[in-house]
Amino acid sequence: MERDLDNANPTILSVSQLPRRSRKGAAPRQGPDSKCDSIVYPKHAWPYGSGLSSDEEDDYREEPMDEQDIYDLISTISDPEHPHTLGQLSVVNLPDIHLSPSPVELPGSDSLVTVLVELTPTINHCSLATVIGLAVRCRLEQTLPPNYRVDVRMKVGSHAQDDQVNKQLGDKERVAAALENDTLRRMVDKMLETCV
Amino acid sequence: MAQFKQWALQYVLSDDETAQSEIARKAAREIESSRASSAAVGNWAASVQQWMTPASADDEQMEDGDQGGSGDIIARAKVLRLIGFFGAMFSYDHKAGITASAKALRQLYRMKSFKPDMGSKILEDVCKIKEDFRLQTAATRLEIYELFLSLVQDPAVSSELKHKYGSSCGFVVDLLQLCQSERDPRNLMVWFKTLALLLRDYDPSPEVTEEIFKTFSAYFPISLRSSATPIGITAEDLKEAVRSCFAAHQRVAPHAFPFLIQKLDQGDAVTVAVKVDILKTIRACIELYDNPQASIVPHIEKIWNSLKYEVRNGEVKETIDATLDVLRAIARKLDGTKTQKLDVSLLKSYVDLVSRDCRDDLANPTYTKQAGLLLMTVISANIRAYVLYNASFIGTVRQNLRQPKSPAHTCDLLLLLNSLLKTRIELLKDRSCGHPDDEASLRTESRTHLDTLFHDVYLPIWTDKANESAPEARDVVKQAIQGLALLASQQILRPDGTLVLLCSRSVCSEICSLLTRTILRSLTLSPNDNNRADETTLEDEAVLALRTIVMSYTDGYDEIASRAMSEIRHRDWTNPSDYALRALQDLLSRLSFIGCSEIPSSIAAETPSRKRYSPVQHFITFTASLLDAFPLSSQTGSPRPNDSVEGPSANAHVISSLHAGVLWFLDACEAKYGRQAFPSSGSGENWVGEYEKLPEDWLLQLQRGDGASDVLLLPPLTDENPEVCRQFLKLSLFMVRSLYRSARSGPRAPWDERALIPLSQMAALVVRNLDEALQVSCNLAHEAFNFFGGSDSASAQPHSSELSLNLLTLGILQGLRPGALAGLYEPGGAAEKLMCNVTDFGSSPSRESDIRAAIGAILANKYKGGPSTSDPEVVVMRRVFDFWANWMKEATTSAPLDREAFHAHSTVAMNVLAGAAARQDKHVLNLVPALHQAAASQHLNGEIVAQSLGLVVKQNELLSPNNHAVVKRFYKQWAYSHLAKPLLQDAQPAAADSHTAARYRLAILSMVSNCPFAVYQDDLEPLIRLLVTALNNHAGLSEEVAWSQVAAALEILADILANEPDALKGHLRETIGGASRVYQECSRKIEAVPPVTRTRCRKLALQVLGAIPTRFEERYVLSYSPPTQRMLAVACGDPVRNVREVARKARASWAKVV
Repeated sequence: MERDLDNANPTILSVSQLPRRSRKGAAPRQGPDSKCDSIVYPKHAWPYGSGLSSDEEDDYREEPMDEQDIYDLISTISDPEHPHTLGQLSVVNLPDIHLSPSPVELPGSDSLVTVLVELTPTINHCSLATVIGLAVRCRLEQTLPPNYRVDVRMKVGSHAQDDQVNKQLGDKERVAAALENDTLRRMVDKMLETCV
Repeated sequence: MAQFKQWALQYVLSDDETAQSEIARKAAREIESSRASSAAVGNWAASVQQWMTPASADDEQMEDGDQGGSGDIIARAKVLRLIGFFGAMFSYDHKAGITASAKALRQLYRMKSFKPDMGSKILEDVCKIKEDFRLQTAATRLEIYELFLSLVQDPAVSSELKHKYGSSCGFVVDLLQLCQSERDPRNLMVWFKTLALLLRDYDPSPEVTEEIFKTFSAYFPISLRSSATPIGITAEDLKEAVRSCFAAHQRVAPHAFPFLIQKLDQGDAVTVAVKVDILKTIRACIELYDNPQASIVPHIEKIWNSLKYEVRNGEVKETIDATLDVLRAIARKLDGTKTQKLDVSLLKSYVDLVSRDCRDDLANPTYTKQAGLLLMTVISANIRAYVLYNASFIGTVRQNLRQPKSPAHTCDLLLLLNSLLKTRIELLKDRSCGHPDDEASLRTESRTHLDTLFHDVYLPIWTDKANESAPEARDVVKQAIQGLALLASQQILRPDGTLVLLCSRSVCSEICSLLTRTILRSLTLSPNDNNRADETTLEDEAVLALRTIVMSYTDGYDEIASRAMSEIRHRDWTNPSDYALRALQDLLSRLSFIGCSEIPSSIAAETPSRKRYSPVQHFITFTASLLDAFPLSSQTGSPRPNDSVEGPSANAHVISSLHAGVLWFLDACEAKYGRQAFPSSGSGENWVGEYEKLPEDWLLQLQRGDGASDVLLLPPLTDENPEVCRQFLKLSLFMVRSLYRSARSGPRAPWDERALIPLSQMAALVVRNLDEALQVSCNLAHEAFNFFGGSDSASAQPHSSELSLNLLTLGILQGLRPGALAGLYEPGGAAEKLMCNVTDFGSSPSRESDIRAAIGAILANKYKGGPSTSDPEVVVMRRVFDFWANWMKEATTSAPLDREAFHAHSTVAMNVLAGAAARQDKHVLNLVPALHQAAASQHLNGEIVAQSLGLVVKQNELLSPNNHAVVKRFYKQWAYSHLAKPLLQDAQPAAADSHTAARYRLAILSMVSNCPFAVYQDDLEPLIRLLVTALNNHAGLSEEVAWSQVAAALEILADILANEPDALKGHLRETIGGASRVYQECSRKIEAVPPVTRTRCRKLALQVLGAIPTRFEERYVLSYSPPTQRMLAVACGDPVRNVREVARKARASWAKVV
């Protein structure tokens, strides 16, 4: 793309700074003396016979979808301008993801949930805000179950024309029409390539 | 032309000599009579060429035949004539003739009657081609280059040339003119070789030398365009070739150095690759030129002035490294060779030059690192420079350390100091490789500046920064720790040639104590005060440093261990917090690493140690200290069988750390002496018998060094003696014995399962490493049941639970080799009893059955006929299987057991079967009919039999070669074909007896899901029918079992999809439908099915669904896409996070189906 970047020098977070789910218990220490740990302190206290490991039980715990899950889904989308993810550029932030009703008070697995994602463009006149919003919307629609309603907006005050952008992103017809456009579609697909 | 061709053919075909000479004469006449003789000669040469092969014999014959002669030996006159003839070819321009002539000349050169003066004539003749040389093809030119090279490197020709031309080397000038514009890489390689040879072996005058230099330097820096047809020469080859011209002889030095430096000083125009090439060339020149006084010294200042900026201001690692290599090469060259030292003033003035420029930079934080690097490189290049300058270098660094500009500055200066210490160790190690003067100078080296380093430099910095938590301060401390380790391991060479430690005992001990304090932090501080709990860089650094230190300062480990142990004992370990347990685990793990991961070396300190050196002394200290401290608490280990293995305990940590210590030392032995150093030949020693005569606290006595019997049992060894491994195993086995005795009849409280499991595993490790003869002579098979109780075992009855005793037995049995177990297989003996044990299980049947099953598997597997039994296999193994066959029959028909007990017993039975099946014991087959019958029985227990059939082929660590198990390569194939395959027919959904079919299906799937794909590959068609049925039909099975069967079926389906998806092509509808249904059903709550099984089924179903679109063309799956996508969309909201992830992947792969 031979044009000037909207924001040539964005602030970038390193991957370790991104919010992540803290695993139960501390991570095992990795010192020079830890080589034997896997043998001497095996994961399973009872190394004989069969039976499910506590590890597997841990992995299979029931946990409803929460904000961090949504964050993990969209923070890995690439930015259309920079070789970084939306999470690294702080376009997507964990506190700006809202679930209603919140996961703890979810009445049943089939009940309707609204996901509101507020995006913060790196600069307030970002011309690609709509495309980023579109990509976030696409990603969530592709990965969330049908009982989730997705609402993507610009954070208040973060964009010079947030009203217009919000209107575009909220209009189903316009979103569908935008995705019919080959160039846009390709761009969005490119952005979603880095999602795992 | 045609005429010549014809004649040439006739000549070749003719056998008659006269006819041949007639033809030759005709050709000669034709050439003579021709008006344009040059054209005629060209035609002739071309006609001859096609009959010439490079393989010379025929060639020769034909050439001389053509001239009318014959025979092998050609007279000198003839050769001369031929040379004249072919040489004359170069005066004409005949493309066709040149290659042939050049080949002919090379051929002639190889002949016996070739004389050196002819060589010079050839050179003259060939040079006559002049301008036309350029017009020849590359291949022709190559031929001529080869000709030149062979002539020039021939000693006889070369002396003739030298004699004839003298130093003016007229022929060289001709050659240079002829070849000046060569560009073909292959030719250049030969040409450069020739040039280097001319410089090295001839004695060209300065003018000629300059001409030669101009010729090759014009190519510098050389590169190679990448070509579509590679020719086998790389750019690197060409660079090397040019470099060898530069470095060929010191006579080019006056041209080479200025030229190269001028190239280097071109500034930014030079790329990194070129820069490295220049630097490497300079280095090659320095290393290869003789007479450095004349060739190198005059240029040193220029080289230095140009090179220093490459390091001082350089950023690219490659160029910095190459520059340092050059500087180091100069220092080495100026020192002299191994046999002859040069005058010391040369080296001195060079080092002075470098120090003058760098010394001041050390005070400037921006350049400290670079300046230090330059200085270090020069000083540490050889022992002489080191001895002369290290004191002043350390002095400067020390001075700067007193007034550092910033913490980073301190850090850099420490780094320099550390690397000087490191270099010192290296130089001392290589002292005998150099000139004898070097070693002598090391003996008399002054050491005051080193002695004071600890108190003047490291200690103040440590005191200043150790308690700061800023990251910069931490970096400084890290460097200081590394420095302390290097300082404590410094050795000095005494005038008598012996090595002793540089630091005194008190300094070493103080260093150890500083570092030990660091690793004790987390234990001594409370969690609130220890704000660096998850930042362990410094601790890790201290651990590495301590390990280095105790390798040479051997008394250090005793100090560390005793401080750590007293710190541990101070605490009450009855109800420790998680934090304290974690700290204990870390500390013990670090102690084991410091003491056991390397074998200490025997270096004396200046005041001798009170303890005799032994390579195993740290291991002894470690084990003795831990054994002495065990149990840390005698109140844990309450008899709560259900949760006694949950969570760690302090006592278990002690045993685990002993285990770690053994592992570390084992690794260290293997690394140092190799695997072959472990006992492998039977010596017949009975270690266990020897132990009986030893006191219980033998290890402690050894640690204190006051045992009188030590020398007999552990003769003194050097650290190079592989016998160390044997001593180590002997000590380890003693330790295992002590712990076994304590676990068997000592106080019961500390020995809960948490401590017994690591003990059992450690015993297995130690026993595994003994060879068969030792295992037999120590009678370990007996000790597996006697628990090293000795002869007094009758009086001291074990008072541990059966589970505990079985765990101990398992530990030893696991490590024994088949040959050592032979004594157990007498009919009615221990092995049979254990394999056929159906006594009731205690309070935790599943655990007890696991252990008994493991023992059963080992005993059934390691069977090997022994001398004491006559054909015992027939008796014992048959009896075992007959027993189980009967038991199966009874327990599923006439006297059925309750479900839990039956499950426990059948686990034992299946493991015994698995052990025997692994060595393909044919007696297994006796049990097969009974098994099949039991599986099909009407009683519910039959279901358990069918379900646990998979245990026979399940991956089992106990049945691995690592544990000396006898495992046949294709045993899974064998077991499958005898146990599962016969059932395939009756298990089909259309079979008459649906109850039997359901049970057989269960049995087959349980087995197949534990087999690799290749085992059941041939039976895919009937298997897939079973799989589809299993997904959809649960009739005849209890709910829980049915769902675990579903999980097995899905696993197999995933395996088939990964290996041979085509087999599923006809069953896609059933597979997709079945998997979707499984997912949906498992999403609901099903009574009697544990949630974990349901979640597993859901996950596996989604995995299978997700793999399908990637394995089949769209046309096969298109029609299933809409409903599957709908289902997967819902699955993305699965309550379990792990499953949601799989669902998303599956959804994405189906989204591509359009």
